[in-house]
Amino acid sequence: MRPLDESETTQVFEKMFKFTGNNLKNIVDNPSHEGPEPNPGRYCFRLQKNRVYYVSESLVKRATNIKRDNLVSLGTQIGKFTKGGKFHLSIQGLNLLAANAKHKVWLKPTSEMSFLYGNHVLKGGLGRITENIVPQDGVVVFSMADVPLGFGIAAKSTHDCRKMDPNGIVVLHQSDIGEYLRMEDDL
Amino acid sequence: MGKKQRKKIVLPPELPPEVSEDEIEVSDEDLQFVNENRDYAGFVSNLDTKSITRHVSRVADVKEDALEFLYEKRLRKKSLEKESEQKGLEVDRVDALPVKTLDGKLVYRTVPKISQHSENVTGGDQDIGDNEADGVDKSLVKLTKPEKRAKLKRMKKEAKKQAKEVENEEVQQTPQAVVLAEVEKELTALEANERKKYKLAELGTALLTDPESNIKSLKEMLQISKDGDHAIAVLGLKSLLAVFKDIIPGYRIRLPTEKEQEMVVSKVVKKMRYYESTLLSTYKGYLQRLIALEQQASFQLVAIRCICTLLDSVPHFNYRESLLAAVIKNISSADDVVRKLCCATVKSLFINEGKHGGEAIVEAVQLIAEHVKVYDCQLHPDSIEVFMSLSFDEDIGRTEMSKADNKFKNKKNKKRKNSEEPSQENDKKKSRKELMSKTRDEVLTPETVNADFKAASLTQDIMERRRMQTETLSAVFQTFFRILKHAMQSIAARSEGISSSSAGASGGHPLLAPCLNGIGKFSHLIDLDFMGDLISYLRKLSGGGSSSDGSSENFLKQLTVSERLRCCIVAFKVMRNNLDALNVDLQDFFVQLYSIILEYRPGRDQGEVLAEALKIMLCDDRQHDMQRAAAFIKRLATFSLCFGSAESMAALVTVKHLLQKNFKCRNLLENDAGGGSVSGPIAKYQPYASDPNLSGALASVLWELNLLSKHYHPTVSTLASTISMLSTAQNQVYHSNVSPQQAFMELSLEHEPFDLKVDIEKPNHKRRRGSGSSVANSSGTNPGITDWTDEDTVRKRLSEHFSLIHDISENKRLRGELDRTTWSLQLYEQYKKQKKTKQNGSKPLKMK
Repeated sequence: MRPLDESETTQVFEKMFKFTGNNLKNIVDNPSHEGPEPNPGRYCFRLQKNRVYYVSESLVKRATNIKRDNLVSLGTQIGKFTKGGKFHLSIQGLNLLAANAKHKVWLKPTSEMSFLYGNHVLKGGLGRITENIVPQDGVVVFSMADVPLGFGIAAKSTHDCRKMDPNGIVVLHQSDIGEYLRMEDDL
Repeated sequence: MGKKQRKKIVLPPELPPEVSEDEIEVSDEDLQFVNENRDYAGFVSNLDTKSITRHVSRVADVKEDALEFLYEKRLRKKSLEKESEQKGLEVDRVDALPVKTLDGKLVYRTVPKISQHSENVTGGDQDIGDNEADGVDKSLVKLTKPEKRAKLKRMKKEAKKQAKEVENEEVQQTPQAVVLAEVEKELTALEANERKKYKLAELGTALLTDPESNIKSLKEMLQISKDGDHAIAVLGLKSLLAVFKDIIPGYRIRLPTEKEQEMVVSKVVKKMRYYESTLLSTYKGYLQRLIALEQQASFQLVAIRCICTLLDSVPHFNYRESLLAAVIKNISSADDVVRKLCCATVKSLFINEGKHGGEAIVEAVQLIAEHVKVYDCQLHPDSIEVFMSLSFDEDIGRTEMSKADNKFKNKKNKKRKNSEEPSQENDKKKSRKELMSKTRDEVLTPETVNADFKAASLTQDIMERRRMQTETLSAVFQTFFRILKHAMQSIAARSEGISSSSAGASGGHPLLAPCLNGIGKFSHLIDLDFMGDLISYLRKLSGGGSSSDGSSENFLKQLTVSERLRCCIVAFKVMRNNLDALNVDLQDFFVQLYSIILEYRPGRDQGEVLAEALKIMLCDDRQHDMQRAAAFIKRLATFSLCFGSAESMAALVTVKHLLQKNFKCRNLLENDAGGGSVSGPIAKYQPYASDPNLSGALASVLWELNLLSKHYHPTVSTLASTISMLSTAQNQVYHSNVSPQQAFMELSLEHEPFDLKVDIEKPNHKRRRGSGSSVANSSGTNPGITDWTDEDTVRKRLSEHFSLIHDISENKRLRGELDRTTWSLQLYEQYKKQKKTKQNGSKPLKMK
């Protein structure tokens, strides 16, 4: 377990900025109420076995007691670095992203299932969409009851969505909560 | 000369007698010509000009074609004359400055010239009244030689006389005479004014009774309206207005071209042409006069009123453009009356499309757009508000669409037939059927042709109307977007700090509010391509946009709260009207509304706008995030604690609505500042958060409702208590059908009497308690009225009481006085008695 170095930090923040915009500040500044300390600490990012975790400071202190090989996980995993050195967000960080998301898409109940099986979001399945989305923006996908289902990359701007045919892809699938079942071993 | 001569020869009866024999120089050509055609040129030698003029002056004796020719020539001359007259007027107006006399009258150099013309004309008119043909010929036939000579002599004599008079005057100029002359002048002026007034009336009535024959007196009226005297001029303008309003025909006059004028036409047509051309020229003169007067302060109101009335009543007629230009120019005048007039006229123009077929609307809208452009959006809001009375007929497009559909269907049918054809080729039976159908088609054809013809003729009209509508719309939106852009630019300039002082001097954006209203109204007509830009502009204007802190502060100073609210409302309207299919979440505008609610001040900002925003943004929207809804509920409840009853009522209605829709938000009503998993990632309520999603409002409790249930206003307190009961009264999903706007309106109307009632009630309670039993009989269900009666009775009783006390004291005093007198009397009697006894005593003593 170690803090992220310069390049890793920029990679992580760039990726998260796509989804949260200026709300990234909230993620970093969020006070943590974990642990017995009277004054709240902060959260920080830690790298452990190529995975990036979002951990409260008090937990980091306690985790230092455990040997690196024996430490399986701590805090909330938000993504991992691939072998090629790229950073991928993972589904465990969904709640963090959803709370601070800038661009959102709400799915109709009929198309929820399709998304949870790993398919892209089509225009026909779109219940609502945040205004002012630009292609290549990070989008968090919600059900109509405001339950976060996953996230992806916008394929079309909000403006273009209006004229699309129902079978056009609006959001490219990146990750969804179905992965907890489908890829149980990899997570 | 020679040319003329030849003409005479060709058309013998039309010999104009004005050329004397001496003056004519006959060329060789002419001579040759005459010699060659001696047969029909022979009579020239024995022509008698006088007799001809006599003959010509009597209609009966003249041949038909000659008369016609005369008429035509006269007309041509007339028009020439008119042209020259107009030219003269225009040129002189420009060239020579008016001379201001000592009386303050403005004298234009053109006036005498024109008056001469008109005198000639009027002279002709009078003759016309007697004998039309006669008059016509007199005006045509110029003076013969002897007459000319006589006239010359007369003129010379007059000149001499005048010279003599001048000399005389110079000689006899004494002060007395001057005074007398002045008095006389005044008197004559008065008389002249009276005469002119009468003449105006006469001419006006004559014109109204028979416009065709009296059309010439229009010019005279116009002349009178150019009078130096203010009152007369105004009267002239007004009477001309009345006349024009009445006699202007329901069509646009097209002056005949030269070709048409040369063509031989009947008498009636000629008369009509003459009438029309006179009417038109006078109308033009009148308009020029009006537009010139509109610049002068003393005449402005009259001129504007005349222009407006004309535009309102005869928008189809010629020279509408100049009328429109004058009206639009004054549409944002500083003078209230003028502006109102112009706006009302333009509005009526927009509403009564049938009067002018829509062209005027296009022109007016384009002119306004140009006006806005020229004045850089610094105009009175009224000038844009007129757009609100525009109406666009969407059915125009639709009918055509349906027709296109029909055509398409027909094509489809045909296609089907075609597709059927090859398969049925071999089958004779079916081919016969086909034949049948074909014949049926042929039977149908006449009808279809008719229908097609009709459709074609209609569609042309429809196409025209559509074109005009698109032009109007584009001009309207051009104006709207220009205003928006202007607002944006000034904001940008300010935030950059460049020329902040100048921007500050220009003040706010007077046109923004009506512009936003207009966009809201016509939002369903905006092209989808503009939508993105429009929304981004609105977002920036409403204060979001770039969201760097410094600039956002500038935004706050720049636009008022109501304007920003309007921006949000318009954005929602635009979205709703265009994108029913796609549900777009306008997050940024919610953020704006969330912060605007805090900046709202009851007195300064418009409560109606706030109520509308609450209605459109929070009540009408179908879906809300739980977090956002909770944040708004919390903020609105807090908000309603500090503002007037109307605003808090609107807010509470919204809160109720939100709570009914969002089950989970009813956690706010529980008396447990829970937080935990329910409140999401933010564990604590952060009242200062700018984003409703990050406020963590679900972790708080709506304690405000408890305070609000003790609100002084009964309606607010009952509503607050019903809201706080929402969570316990489960499954009773009754939706309130009162919108925040309605609630606001009701309470703001009720506001005044309610305050009064409170004022009256309080002191009465005190008095009741204080005076106790004295005012026992005020068992009023309606305290306001009974209390007033109470006061009266109290006053009465008090006065009774005090008069009684007064009486008692008076009585006491009197009684005391009485006692004293009686006592003194008694003393006196005792003294008497004692005296008597003394006397008696002494006497008997003496006697003893």
